[in-house]
Amino acid sequence: MKKNTFYLIFGCIALVLLFVFWYSVEIHTPLLIEIAFIIGIVLVYLAKRKVTDVINDERDVKITEQATIRTMQIFWVVFCAFSIGAVMETLRIPAFPRQGSGMRPADILPPRMMGYIQLGLLCLMIFLYVGFRIYYAKKYGDFETDEE
Amino acid sequence: MHNLTQEDLARAIGVNRQTILAIEKEKYIPSLDLAFKISRYFGVNIEEVFVFDEKTPTIADK
Repeated sequence: MKKNTFYLIFGCIALVLLFVFWYSVEIHTPLLIEIAFIIGIVLVYLAKRKVTDVINDERDVKITEQATIRTMQIFWVVFCAFSIGAVMETLRIPAFPRQGSGMRPADILPPRMMGYIQLGLLCLMIFLYVGFRIYYAKKYGDFETDEE
Repeated sequence: MHNLTQEDLARAIGVNRQTILAIEKEKYIPSLDLAFKISRYFGVNIEEVFVFDEKTPTIADK
């Protein structure tokens, strides 16, 4: 399969996912988009394996590896720190009464906002990965030119 | 010397042209496997193509 064919298939899958997302919102069924997302990614991976005119050599692997490691090193700390706080807030732990009032203080973040922040963090991870990928690509000579 | 382009060499040893360019510009240190492939392609010993320099950081250092 040619590289351009792969990009075409990728675009079609993205469009279908967008449609499924809209439909799952309409019918209030988040499971539908979750399953569709997983299937979509699996299809992209399968299609990518069929591409023949792209050579993925050891330098590409090195760039991907370094970018992934650095992204995860930063992302998991931020994501886990926020998620632990969010879980504690959701489970109301610890529920110590404040100053003997017996009343639980108001939620710092409502659950919906926690979801939005987690979604934002996931988007941030993608930007972080792209940033690191550009950095390592530059470091390992991706933007070098010669006189040939 | 061999009247060879980077593209030809890259295709012959199964890497991208950019990888050959990066090795030439000392931006990327090839694996032992790739270094052997390059030297074998030219029919010379690995030491004739690559010079080990103590001061050069290894990939692990990078």
